Amino acid sequence: MLGKFLINFTFTLSLLSTIFYWYSFIRKSEFTYQKFARYLFYYSVIGIVISSTLLIYYILTHQFQYHYIWGHSSTDLPISLLVSTFYAGQEGSFNLWALLTGLLGIFLIKYNAKRNYEIEFMSVYGLIFTILILFLVIKNPFTLIWDVFPKELIQYGGNPNSSQKYTWIDQAKGIWASIPVEGRGLNPLLQNYWMVIHPPILFIGFTSMSVPFAFAVASLLKKDYLNWINIAKPWVIFGSMVLGCGILLGGFWAYETLGWGGFWGWDPVENSSLVPWLVSIATLHTMLTQKNSNKLIRTNFIFSILTFLLVLYSTFLTRSGVLGDTSVHSFVTPGATIYWLLLGAIILFSGLSIYMLILRWKEIPKEESNYSVLSREYALFLGASTLVISSFFIAIGTSSPLITLMLKGKASAVEINYYIQTNLPLAIALALFSGLGQLLWWKNTPIKILINKIWIPFIVSFALTTISYFVGVKEVTMLILIFSSYFMLIVNLMLAWNVFKGKISLVGSYVTHVGFALMLLGFVFSAKYDSKQTLSLEEGKTISAFNFDFTYLGYQQKDKNRYAFNILIDDGKDNFFISPIMFINNQDNSVIRHPDIKNLYTKDLYISPLSLDEGKSQGEELNLIKNKIIETKGITLKYLGYDFVQLKGGINDLTLSIEYKNSNKIQILKPKMINKKGNLNFQSAKTDDNKFEISIISVNPSKIEDQTTAKILLTKLDGAQNPKKETLIVEATIKPLIILVWIGTAIVMIGFIITLIRRVKEAK
Amino acid sequence: MNLRFILGIAIIIVAIIFASYSFTEANIEYMTFNEALHSSKKAQVKGDWIKEKPSEFDPIKNTFSFYMVDDKNIEYQVILIGAKPNNFEIAESVVAKGKFQGNIFYASNVLTKCPSKYEAGTEELNKTL
Repeated sequence: MLGKFLINFTFTLSLLSTIFYWYSFIRKSEFTYQKFARYLFYYSVIGIVISSTLLIYYILTHQFQYHYIWGHSSTDLPISLLVSTFYAGQEGSFNLWALLTGLLGIFLIKYNAKRNYEIEFMSVYGLIFTILILFLVIKNPFTLIWDVFPKELIQYGGNPNSSQKYTWIDQAKGIWASIPVEGRGLNPLLQNYWMVIHPPILFIGFTSMSVPFAFAVASLLKKDYLNWINIAKPWVIFGSMVLGCGILLGGFWAYETLGWGGFWGWDPVENSSLVPWLVSIATLHTMLTQKNSNKLIRTNFIFSILTFLLVLYSTFLTRSGVLGDTSVHSFVTPGATIYWLLLGAIILFSGLSIYMLILRWKEIPKEESNYSVLSREYALFLGASTLVISSFFIAIGTSSPLITLMLKGKASAVEINYYIQTNLPLAIALALFSGLGQLLWWKNTPIKILINKIWIPFIVSFALTTISYFVGVKEVTMLILIFSSYFMLIVNLMLAWNVFKGKISLVGSYVTHVGFALMLLGFVFSAKYDSKQTLSLEEGKTISAFNFDFTYLGYQQKDKNRYAFNILIDDGKDNFFISPIMFINNQDNSVIRHPDIKNLYTKDLYISPLSLDEGKSQGEELNLIKNKIIETKGITLKYLGYDFVQLKGGINDLTLSIEYKNSNKIQILKPKMINKKGNLNFQSAKTDDNKFEISIISVNPSKIEDQTTAKILLTKLDGAQNPKKETLIVEATIKPLIILVWIGTAIVMIGFIITLIRRVKEAK
Repeated sequence: MNLRFILGIAIIIVAIIFASYSFTEANIEYMTFNEALHSSKKAQVKGDWIKEKPSEFDPIKNTFSFYMVDDKNIEYQVILIGAKPNNFEIAESVVAKGKFQGNIFYASNVLTKCPSKYEAGTEELNKTL
């Protein structure tokens, strides 16, 4: 009740705050309304902070009367994962988004008040916050479970059973509802530390994407067409950095635990953060152009607005259920309300921004076109356009189920190849522009000077490409791509070094580009030139592949229901274990597989488990009853009884006596089951003629002699051969130079931080 | 018109043509087994795995073979290049992407459609009471 009230309260306050901001914008002189609006915003943030704290408190105390908490958590989760169930579902992730938008809003009010931008900015930003809270009002995380399952949970009349958990809805009328004592739990795929760090970072990034939008529309309201980019730029850098970091962490999660085989699966959920991020990166570059040469003034408005509209569109794609089951992420069908709400938000914000843009279009100063093809402006513009085109290609691919549904009447997703094919030429262009652009001067570059600067990186890149050719890169497109990546790398390395000797604060851009060039190279080598092999590893038997010896040594229980499959790997000099994990998800009985990776510096050995072929099931399961004869496969078996011996130290062993009779011989077989403190060990018994083997599955002793039963496994041996052993099937992949991706990532982040510090100083 | 402008327009036109071409190429049509049998293009066939018939992974060839019946009740053997797809046993239905070679449908990819994972049903509710 309290939670619901707090959310409605927050909504009312933030709506009022926005209305007052608009009012003070329209009636410019009324200063008191601004102050009033500001405090309303602060109080609404306090409201969402309290309701979020309450939600966390309810989660930690397992209040399963709330449908959301019942649906996503359980009592057996460790505290870190329990906290992460806060944003594991639809309602909670909207809550996190709204909470972060509110908290960031407090900083933004302060930031904008100093720069005389508060009223216009908050008129837009406050509206975004209000709409996010509206999502929560409708998809409320505090919805009670009996409102969702009234038929199953609400009882009329009678007295609740005292052994059951219940609550009175109306005691006078005898209406009560039962409360679950356990939750459904968190999807096992999400149960690792990535779930704790990845979503919050991603959502901070998502939240930041609304800031340039609010600045763009605010500056149109304010008719300040030039100065706004200086104020907005640090936020664009911050947003790009955080969202980029979130995307890369997601990639690392996919690579390390989800076992998608790579760091990027072109899945709608991944794409939905990549699409706005690419435009945000483009905006970063066009803002830089405007700052340095007063160009691309209108482009900056378009890109800043586009970034946020793409955030909304991506959210619509992944949250409204329109993609159905065309993705590996399963989407909930959230119902028509959220669909229309998201669509409404897109219409509202695109309507508002496009209207403002058209209204002011003629007033926006026109740029002079006094720059040549060989200028930094032009390279930056082409690079930024390439990023936006790439973002569109990805958005169109992701929307494929929607497009095909409209055109053909049946939804189908595009093959992953689409994304690779369309982005490959763009990646080449981007790498070339990122190298060339850094060498060009503003306005115009004399050819001679360009040649003077370009020849060293050109020759070095050419040499490196030639080496790569002989090492194994043979495809023409790949050679062009790595040539341009080397070019980008060398140019930026050289410039970084030159600048580094002078002023360290200016080195950010070069460092970032060095990082991206390394990542591009890492993508090509690890994804295009990987080698895969499916291995059938029979227990104890050594198999060679990729110059390694693989020996599967059996599995071991890791915790409650996870099993690690230990593979000993010998590379001639050294040996190590790789232990991928497989287990049954008890939520839906699906098999969950986690790969295991050994980093060998220049390459990763990536082992994905596929299946386990348990040798035992080769035999026939038989139920024996004491003193009854069973006939099978031309032999007879008679269960004579068992011996139970208790030894010291919690060890006991149980021996069955079974009379085995073939055409001419009788033999007593004694399979054993040894129990060492709960660890069961089975010893099978073989017949003298080497034709059969018997092992115990289970024994049911009974007080009545003749009712004692046992379950055994009878395995037919083929001649002198041993029965088939347990076989683990895995896919082994060698991923060359994937380490470049991770090193590149780290360098990109360092570069971003240096740039951010510089631009924040400038914005003061 | 200056050079910058023409260059820009040219790039955008090339990009659009290229994207629409790739998009149509990468969208594989849904067909029934009979339609796929008479088509030279790659197809997606939706249907059910016939659990009673043998299914087997061949670790040497790295193929997984099974029998599948489509929505029109037509049955064919499917050979998937690769291991048994994730969650094959519990899938409500499967979608195989590939082409016929003779009477066998060779799939490059088999998608499994699982009973919705996060939608909480009453059955689960009863388990937690």
